[in-house]
Amino acid sequence: MTELHDTGERRRTSDTPPSITDLIDEETVRSIVQEAWSALIGEDELLVPLPGGLPENAVSSWVHVAGPWNGIVVLTCGRSTAEQLSRELLKEHAPPVIEDEDIEDALGELANVVGGNVKAVLPGPSALGLPEVGSAPVAGSDTRRVDLLWRGQSLTISVQGSAGAPLDQ
Amino acid sequence: MTLTATSFDWVRALVHRESAIVLQPGKEYLVEARLLPIARQRGIADVSTFVESVRSRPDTDSMRCIVEALTTNETSWFRDGDPFTALTSTVMPALLAARGPNERLQIWSAACSSGQEAYTIAMLLVDSMPSATTRVSITATDLSREMVARTKAGRFSQLEVNRGLPAPMLVRHFTRAGNEWEVAPALRRMVTATECNLAAPLPRMGPFDVVYLRNVLIYFDLPTKQVILRRVRELMRPDGWLFLGAAETTLGVDDSWERVVVGRSSAYRPIKGK
Amino acid sequence: MRALVIDDSRVMRRIVAGILEDLGYEVQQAGHGREGLDVLNGGWVPELACVDWNMPVMDGLQFVSAVRSNPAWRQVTIMMVTSESEHGQIVRALAAGAHEYVIKPFTADAIRDKLALLGLLPEEVVL
Repeated sequence: MTELHDTGERRRTSDTPPSITDLIDEETVRSIVQEAWSALIGEDELLVPLPGGLPENAVSSWVHVAGPWNGIVVLTCGRSTAEQLSRELLKEHAPPVIEDEDIEDALGELANVVGGNVKAVLPGPSALGLPEVGSAPVAGSDTRRVDLLWRGQSLTISVQGSAGAPLDQ
Repeated sequence: MTLTATSFDWVRALVHRESAIVLQPGKEYLVEARLLPIARQRGIADVSTFVESVRSRPDTDSMRCIVEALTTNETSWFRDGDPFTALTSTVMPALLAARGPNERLQIWSAACSSGQEAYTIAMLLVDSMPSATTRVSITATDLSREMVARTKAGRFSQLEVNRGLPAPMLVRHFTRAGNEWEVAPALRRMVTATECNLAAPLPRMGPFDVVYLRNVLIYFDLPTKQVILRRVRELMRPDGWLFLGAAETTLGVDDSWERVVVGRSSAYRPIKGK
Repeated sequence: MRALVIDDSRVMRRIVAGILEDLGYEVQQAGHGREGLDVLNGGWVPELACVDWNMPVMDGLQFVSAVRSNPAWRQVTIMMVTSESEHGQIVRALAAGAHEYVIKPFTADAIRDKLALLGLLPEEVVL
């Protein structure tokens, strides 16, 4: 191991917003998502940490975190995965036909749950925005991304710092 | 073999009659999950065969096991609050009055799992009788090395703190540690965790003033229950208090205990000379 | 017993309402704090309000403060049900007058356990 010496070169924190990869590791993100799935989707719903490749018609939901760290927490999966997740969330309370509005709502709520718990691990205090749904904002270099398989279908969670890429595009 | 409708209905009716708890249709999986360890212990591979054998030849021991297995909560802080309320309302005041001002009081959380019971006791004492806490030590034991390590660490997941831990106590006694919650050092210092197999000769411990042995006996057959209760009694002070799970009792198992009602809970106390 | 479930996600409202209805509660739903206050002002004052934190129009914390400022609504037990999970946020909600706090994600058992602590679980428990 190389020893780090203080070179005397210091930067004020305001100059360098903390990088998300220094603030949260993959394992923490994965355990947050796994807890959300175990509680809300089903006790035995295991998420396998393998990249699967997202389908063309992938949808995303995300929430903004604003505080010492600024950025978004994004959940992305295929359209049919999103529909199944909505059905599993509602279980016996699911209507016979799941409307688009329900799918967007369910996906947004999952981003809210994951985002709220990610926020709690990051330096605070910070504010959590309301969920948005649509095509995923482009991820910049400052991103912690976790690829998972749920029932063989891929989903990704990425925590994207606003320093890495413009958020509103 | 999956649980048949007839087996499920019979279990439902039994549990409702004995405990007033309603198992809704669709909870077959719960019956399967809770009864499988009991079936296997009896050398039966699946739940349906076990239930059918008890249904065709009912015996009180098996029926009690079924009811207990389905009505027992996994450890979740104050969820079954009465044995804890009894500690501060009745048991501790009685013990403090009976002991000298410098005598230590020892509490045993047997089969402590991840330590929720031990820390529940610690939180309760710190909150409602702070002056007594320096005199109290809590011993937490479990068969599993992993559970002992978890108890020592005093770290709990979000899902665990969500279950029956009052929010005011969460914020008073825990801090966040990454995605988990960590119990305050002062509480961790009150709790000593060690491995212990209740079904084998017990290590030298105690003597204990209070023992929590909740939802443990249900996993053992009658002779083992008797041996465990005798060994526990040997580690207790003569005027000690034993708490069992809400569905458990010493009655019909070991007649050397007296059952006393404490608030909405029951405790068992050694009968002198037995 | 009656419960008001306030959450801007209708899927989450249905989940929470479903758990409470299974326990025998009569439930009304609202999409944000202002709508929740409208229900109370309309004279439907429940024993329990389950309230999300982050919502449009009026957030959960503002709702808690509004309910606590009206003595006529003293009987309403407030339980936050939210993904806000920092230590400091829970302290703020309790200080504003919430009685309990459930962190999302939660299971039906978690809601039942909290209701048991609050003495709001009907006698006959449904598993």
